[in-house]
Amino acid sequence: MVIATEENAMTLLPARGVKASLITLLIVVGACNSGGGTSAPPLAGCNSGTTQVLFWTSHTPPDTDSMAHMVTAFNKQSTTSCVKMVAVPGSETDIAKLTTAVRGGTGPDVYELDRFTVAERAAAGVLTDLSSFGAASESGNYLDFAWKEALFKGKPYALPFDTDARALFYNKDMLQAAGVDASALDISKGPPTIDTIRTMANKLNKKDASGKYTVIGFVPALSQGWHYTWGFAYGGSFFDASSCKVTPDDPKIVQAFKDMFWNWSGALGVDALQTFLSTYAPTTPPLPTEQDAFLTGHIGFVVTGPWVLSWFPQYKPNLHYGITYIPVPHEGDQPATWAGGWSVVIPKGAKNAKGGYEFMKYFAGEAGQRVYTKETQHMPTWKPLLSDSSLYQGDLSLFVKLLPSAHSRPALPVGSLYWDQLSTAQDAALRHSKDPAVALKDAATATNDKLQQYCPLAA
Amino acid sequence: MIAAPRLRRFRLSQDDRRNLRTALPFIAPWVIGFLAFTVYPIVYSLYLSFTHYSGFGDATAAGLDNYQHLIKDPLFWQSLSNTLYYTALAVPIGVVVAIVLALLMNQNVREVAIYRAAFYLPTIIPLFALTFIFIVLLNPGFGLVDYVLGLFHIPAVNWLGDARWTKISIVLLAQLGAGGPALIFLAGLRAVPTELYESALIDGAGPLRRFYKITLPLISPVILFDLIYGTILGIQIFTPAFVLTGGTSGGGAYTAGPENSLLFYVYYLYKNAFQYSDMGYASAMAWVLFVISVVLAVAIMRWSKYWVHYEVT
Repeated sequence: MVIATEENAMTLLPARGVKASLITLLIVVGACNSGGGTSAPPLAGCNSGTTQVLFWTSHTPPDTDSMAHMVTAFNKQSTTSCVKMVAVPGSETDIAKLTTAVRGGTGPDVYELDRFTVAERAAAGVLTDLSSFGAASESGNYLDFAWKEALFKGKPYALPFDTDARALFYNKDMLQAAGVDASALDISKGPPTIDTIRTMANKLNKKDASGKYTVIGFVPALSQGWHYTWGFAYGGSFFDASSCKVTPDDPKIVQAFKDMFWNWSGALGVDALQTFLSTYAPTTPPLPTEQDAFLTGHIGFVVTGPWVLSWFPQYKPNLHYGITYIPVPHEGDQPATWAGGWSVVIPKGAKNAKGGYEFMKYFAGEAGQRVYTKETQHMPTWKPLLSDSSLYQGDLSLFVKLLPSAHSRPALPVGSLYWDQLSTAQDAALRHSKDPAVALKDAATATNDKLQQYCPLAA
Repeated sequence: MIAAPRLRRFRLSQDDRRNLRTALPFIAPWVIGFLAFTVYPIVYSLYLSFTHYSGFGDATAAGLDNYQHLIKDPLFWQSLSNTLYYTALAVPIGVVVAIVLALLMNQNVREVAIYRAAFYLPTIIPLFALTFIFIVLLNPGFGLVDYVLGLFHIPAVNWLGDARWTKISIVLLAQLGAGGPALIFLAGLRAVPTELYESALIDGAGPLRRFYKITLPLISPVILFDLIYGTILGIQIFTPAFVLTGGTSGGGAYTAGPENSLLFYVYYLYKNAFQYSDMGYASAMAWVLFVISVVLAVAIMRWSKYWVHYEVT
């Protein structure tokens, strides 16, 4: 039995303190170690001996349902890789989850990224150059504009995935009920003029007893009626490669903003239009698909993309709708549309980049894009699939015909800043808070300020 | 005369030193964590604010570029004015609401426990969920708020779709979190000596007079605390604006509320850091915000000399 005197208790204590801190340190180090490293066993549905590939997407159902089918099919046939798909928060321009994870060394092997931001993310150093995987040899398989969006300084950083195009949808029943002859809108008659659409749409407007709109024929800014949409429709150019400057203050784009946003909302009533939008078509939070203003008959015309074709049979099977070109400013003008879409990339620090690339080639290749086109009514960027007419049932074939002449957004290292700046100018025009010419000039200044550090941009 | 004892206080005796040796290893995990996860990032962000840095690769020296750009950036000024506007409204209103709640929680009735729980309840609901509930309540077509206003023939307000009302909506939303400060005020109220009220009652003071002459001066230290704390939280407002404007959900509006009226300072900082990959600029913004916080806190402290009473005189 040891009797602890005050003296030896004091000499013992520091040693205890050291021990305590050592143990704490060991626990911390142990906890840090257990986080990464060891290769996970293959998941259900994978072949044995395969290594895991982590795939992140910010998409939601129904798109992710289709992607899950593609992942399952890939896992079944691969003898080397086993893909685990995880849905993560994010959007076209917000990749906070990805960047923090990559910086922390816990990023995925493959990430689905909006294609028009590939150059931007490559410039920031988030993405792996795919040259060493031989990606350059894939260029011939993809639509030209889509492949160009996947490049930064001439090097491939992504494999293009799907694409889309925009067109004008109209509700035939609503037009008929208002006594409007919709036959003039038949796509075989070429693009309608904006004046034609305005006249038709105004006949659909309805207000309730308190004077609030319950139906508005056409709101050009709704859904896919973006700055780019109307800027292209008016023949505007958003970027001048020779001077390496964005040009949202192009007079044609300014005119588009005046006609389609400023004057249109002025005619309806600026506040009345905003109240209508907040009630029936709020963007935040976006309404569930079944409450979409076009499906519920609160708007008669809408500019949107082919993906809504998959909504109709599910949510509004008896909807009588038509599709035509985005209206043009003047009779005889060439119709314009633009195409966007997504891509797959390998973020920096991927633990299984080789397996990741194998999956990307499948996912963004013929097999994957075939499934996605069939199931979600998006369009493929894989060229040979565009001539496979069995894939395009019904109205989707109209969109495929729009593709060859479609514009695409300039792929800039400041693409998402530019998008936000254009959206700010669009919002100001809709609300009459800033003249479009001034707002677009401001957007040019702010974007060019940040763009200069990357100039000149290699082709 | 004052300097001497201060110096002596810092001279450690042998016992003190032994105690320190004993204590240091025990607090080492916290100290290491504080140095690694708080001090280092703070110092590093100061360095980054003088560079161009995307978050990846090497930072390139930029001198005062980021700070100079701030001055020219209209969105920086808009985000700053949005934030100050919000703080100037939300903090004083928050203090009043919290005091009223605390007075209600302090009533001498049997079911007071139920009231306390009810008033505190919204505070424990995640801000994210509260914001979503608010969006539904404020819908100009179907929302409860405009419906009730309509009963009194007040014209409907497009709360979240009109730039004039968006920040006021968030001020209202912030009041649902008043339960936390109300508890602190409640503690302050209960610390006021009851004999003061008794003598005031004998002297014929009414309830309003008792409140202004006794309660308010004696809870003024709590008001000061709440003002400073609320101001620091107020200028960092982020979550409700992020949720209301779509944040990361696809198909969002891409502006921070109508006319960027909800582009608060930290929201703009976040956009620069994670959407535009401009960590250098975001770091510069963070340091400017830090300076603003310090200035505001010092100003409130100085002003408090005129109205805060720490003891009964």
